[in-house]
Amino acid sequence: MSAHASEKRQKKPRSGAISVRGRLAVASRVLAALIGGYLLTALTSICLAQFLPLVRAEAVVLAMTLSFLVYLPAVLWCFACGTAWRAWFGLLLPSAVLAALYASARWLL
Amino acid sequence: MPLATLLCYVGFSALCLSMNRHYEDLTGRSFSGSRAKALRLLGWAALLASLWVALASQTLGQALVQWSAALMGSAVVLVFVMSYWPRLALSLAGVGVLLCPVFAFLQLLA
Amino acid sequence: MKEGFRQVMAWLHTWAGLTFGWLLFAIFLTGTLSYFKNEITQWTQPEIVPHEISAADGVNRAQQWLGENAPDAKRWFIRLPDERSPELGVSWTPAKGRFEERSLDSLTGIPVQARESMGGEFFYRFHFQLQMPYRWGRWLASLAAMVMFVALISGIITHKKIFKEFFTFRPRKGQRTWLDGHNAVAVLVLPFHLMITYSSLVIFMTMIMPLSILTTYGKNTQGFFDDLFPAFKTEPALADRAPLASIAPMFEVAAEKWPGSRVGLITVNNPGSANASVTMTRHGADHIPHEPGTALVFDGVSAELKSESNMGAASLMLAGGLYGLHMGHFAGPLLRWLYFLAGIGGTAMIGTGLVIWLGKRRLKHAKSGVLPFELRLVEMLNVASMSGLMLAVVSFFWANRLLPVSFTGRSDWEVKTFFCVWGVALLHAFARVFLRDGRSAWREQLTLAALLYCALPILDMATAGGYLLASLKQGNLTLMALDMTALATGIFLAWGAFRFRGDGKIVLASKLTPAVQEAR
Repeated sequence: MSAHASEKRQKKPRSGAISVRGRLAVASRVLAALIGGYLLTALTSICLAQFLPLVRAEAVVLAMTLSFLVYLPAVLWCFACGTAWRAWFGLLLPSAVLAALYASARWLL
Repeated sequence: MPLATLLCYVGFSALCLSMNRHYEDLTGRSFSGSRAKALRLLGWAALLASLWVALASQTLGQALVQWSAALMGSAVVLVFVMSYWPRLALSLAGVGVLLCPVFAFLQLLA
Repeated sequence: MKEGFRQVMAWLHTWAGLTFGWLLFAIFLTGTLSYFKNEITQWTQPEIVPHEISAADGVNRAQQWLGENAPDAKRWFIRLPDERSPELGVSWTPAKGRFEERSLDSLTGIPVQARESMGGEFFYRFHFQLQMPYRWGRWLASLAAMVMFVALISGIITHKKIFKEFFTFRPRKGQRTWLDGHNAVAVLVLPFHLMITYSSLVIFMTMIMPLSILTTYGKNTQGFFDDLFPAFKTEPALADRAPLASIAPMFEVAAEKWPGSRVGLITVNNPGSANASVTMTRHGADHIPHEPGTALVFDGVSAELKSESNMGAASLMLAGGLYGLHMGHFAGPLLRWLYFLAGIGGTAMIGTGLVIWLGKRRLKHAKSGVLPFELRLVEMLNVASMSGLMLAVVSFFWANRLLPVSFTGRSDWEVKTFFCVWGVALLHAFARVFLRDGRSAWREQLTLAALLYCALPILDMATAGGYLLASLKQGNLTLMALDMTALATGIFLAWGAFRFRGDGKIVLASKLTPAVQEAR
């Protein structure tokens, strides 16, 4: 909480002067939300399409339809978590897990 | 659908009255806790009744769409009227309560 | 910790709302207008008069005209007139060249002699393509939709007293009223906002989230669309020619298969060739979900029903349902007006948000009276994107009535007028905000807009009064309704302009909260 709060204080002090480091942290979070979020969402849709017990076209449609429900918390996470690093990590780690899950289902099993 | 809309308006009015910040504005009388509970119950009951009425009169998809529209529409009307003419909002709710059995009867006939 | 989270969500809501608010206001306003795009087109092309014709007559005329004028096309499309669109729409993909379309008079079967205009289609296309090249515009609009989604959810999380203040609206209290208003149009119409935003992502999902198609279908992405819409699979035309059967009798089969539902789009594949086929889909007004996969395919030569496909699977109905809810094709007049009002509510939600963003920060500079550069920039963009856009919209209609009825490129000039006026409004806002004050920018633009909207019915009477009276005689209220809506909008804008009268010093004092007033 204190690390988060101190970074927050750096980002939005009441005086209005935001440090360069603060701005970079925000920019990093925005990029994480944009790129990392998209990656996680796409991998979710890929895994759903792979694992849903439906006919191929239906699975893909349902996977795409539901995927945006993942993008939203991903974006919220990027800004709510303690540091900008954690924003990236929190998206890239699950993405890697999903990628591994899909890869194993597709090429190993 | 008119019955469902009326029930939405009545339901929201009751829920609104169950809050002390609005009760005094609307009625001019002082707020009481037991009355609040009764109004809250009435409010939710009216909203659920409006959903049931909507489902009873048409297909599921149409019912849900029209009920959502009735819900949003009646809430907006209530808040707008209430903010400028609080007594009128209350009177409308009263009229709504009186008209409900009329519309229920008409719907049963149709 | 919870407070920290809520604070972050408030920050996110504020900044997501500001950065995309101007674009989202434009998308919401033009999207809201799109619910009446057919009616707007009727107004912009008053020469096209509705006729009562049977579906059979309509399709016969279309078939005859297409047979004479596009016999070598790969595909014909026929859209019959309905209660909202008086024209008989034909279009085709030629053997060589770009897609073409014409409006035929439903009674005579010849191309309609009406002024060239995009009509409501302009606003419709703008709201998802933003007058940008095909993919770029749609991607930007989709990004805006995702930011809207984030803004909505972060707004809900931030609004601590969402239930306690559900019915709260306190007029005449300055900044507090603006916030109450923002909360009211947001919360009370929330189901609509959430539906519109999420469904807009679903509508473009095959473009913005295509990877699952690629991983399951590989290079054969067409296979995905063929699986979903088997009735629209294309086959190359056979060399053998054969006369196309009459389409009209096929309606009887459709009526049997789809009781209580009309035919919407009629597609003729490879007309004139031995493997011609006719595909029919249901009219959008008759059901909620968008289901292009539910179709009947007839043999084009023997007129026999070849296949019937039904898009009934739950997953497809979810996506199709969201698509259909967004489009609102199924909405009758009352529900359509409610869609329109809800859209206005969404537009107002965004607009009030932009005003509040600036208003809050402006209070800090109330004593010095001088706004820093960034806030002036925001004010300029607020004025240009809101009152400026309102001016641009009404100019489109003025251009439609004032431009000569027939000259080539007429339709482009209507669109150019829209963007030129918007551009001038931006310049005016810049000049006023940076050289004088924001109030005068708002006041002047709102006043001009009020005049133009209120005068639109007069302009209509003066330039196209004959059509207006003829439509009323026929019992068609569409043209009058648009004029009256313009008038009502003008009155509202006049009230807005009135609020910006004077130099604002007295009004500003009353806008300060009691606490600040006491502190002074």
